[in-house]
Amino acid sequence: MIACVLIPGFELRAALRKQPGLALRPAALAPAAGTEPLVGPVTAEAERLGVRPGMRLGEALATCPQLILVEQDPAAAEQAWEEILRALEDSGFAVDPAGVGSVYFETRGVERLYGGLEAALRRALAAVGTAWDPRAGAAQRRFAALAAANVARPGQILVVSDERLQEFLAPLPLELVPMEPRRRAELHELGVKRVGQLAGLPGAAVAERLGPDGRRAWGLARGGKHARVRGRRPPAEIFETLEFPEAVANELTLRRAFVALLETLLARPERADRFIRKIALSARLVGGGSWRRSVTLRDATTEPARLKAALGPKLAELPAPVLELRLELVELTEHDGQQLELVPAAGGELDVRLREGLRQVRASTGSGSVNQVVEVAPWSRIPEARALFVPRDD
Amino acid sequence: MVTHSGSPGAVRAAGRLNQPRPAVVEARVDGTPVRVNRLPVALLREEWRVVDRWWTEEPIARRYFEVVLQSGENAVVFRDEERSCWFTQKGA
Repeated sequence: MIACVLIPGFELRAALRKQPGLALRPAALAPAAGTEPLVGPVTAEAERLGVRPGMRLGEALATCPQLILVEQDPAAAEQAWEEILRALEDSGFAVDPAGVGSVYFETRGVERLYGGLEAALRRALAAVGTAWDPRAGAAQRRFAALAAANVARPGQILVVSDERLQEFLAPLPLELVPMEPRRRAELHELGVKRVGQLAGLPGAAVAERLGPDGRRAWGLARGGKHARVRGRRPPAEIFETLEFPEAVANELTLRRAFVALLETLLARPERADRFIRKIALSARLVGGGSWRRSVTLRDATTEPARLKAALGPKLAELPAPVLELRLELVELTEHDGQQLELVPAAGGELDVRLREGLRQVRASTGSGSVNQVVEVAPWSRIPEARALFVPRDD
Repeated sequence: MVTHSGSPGAVRAAGRLNQPRPAVVEARVDGTPVRVNRLPVALLREEWRVVDRWWTEEPIARRYFEVVLQSGENAVVFRDEERSCWFTQKGA
């Protein structure tokens, strides 16, 4: 099954996070500068007073003089959307976002994990968070899943089987089918206002009259194609991965490996003195599964102690032994002024000298020549199982 | 495997410390070593066995010897009884 999680009016919701009081008042997303003056998504109160999304600005203000226009905040929306996608990925869904506020994923893999389709979709809605009023739809085809999510109420799950697909799509408004506004207007003039009416027309005639866009819309009205959903590749600016020769379950060992990865990552030249806003730790588990936790820091930092304190405790949540540990700098920020230390921390001078010494060794012997010994099982009777050496290039 | 860390991501493989190294050992009938890597054994200091992971597909059965060679060097050798060959090992 293909599932779609939809958050209608996402940009407005994201913009309203800074002024939550407006959510209960008549408000609409203002049109972006330099674009056609059409209002964006509207609040429930504005809708009650007669304002519709896509209405001309003048008409909307005439209909509802007390309408509050909320400035667009695309960066905040993007960030909030990325957080939602990450939350879904953290719960095991391989997401394929289709613009802000709408995301698809295959349910086949996660159904077994959560004990059925409905449980998996409930988990997805929970991962998104009730504050966003998400809704979910599932079907064998992508467009049908989107249509189901559109029809569902906030927090509701709607599953449409392939047998009942035509019956389900037929009464839905034509606005659900993506197509050029000109084509839609043309169809309206011809009296075609429902998905079922479009689906009932002969394909060749639609193609001749409305061109390839119309033909595509006709195909969607009949349910769309059976196509697989491919999960996106999560963005990772800089990462380091450590492979273990055998699965490691010991938390102490994992912590040491995490610290070694963190120090190497912080020393990477690509970081270019930028500060870390978001960092993620992921692991490949024994048995083929994976695990991922990410942390967004309130104040961007490069202090190893703070990063360790933020992410280190998450290692205790690992559900199975680890074959590979990966640390990613997901989001970096520019330097925005930091208070320097008045008195350097104890041992700081020695640390600097040691790093300089190691740098010189590496310069003369090459990358991979400096390693750190990480104890894995110091109690083991097998000498080679007691410790690992981890390459360090910091 | 160590990749160049200049790429956006680097994958490093951790290695094992104190991996056993193959050794040429001559032994008596009772299994105690006489020569290690062509150097005569002056003194046999200790002997012990390690039997572990017998429940896995890679069981371990080793007979360890700590010896002093005639050159004065200390060495730890073991006979892998699963594979019937000799190794030297540090950190044992």
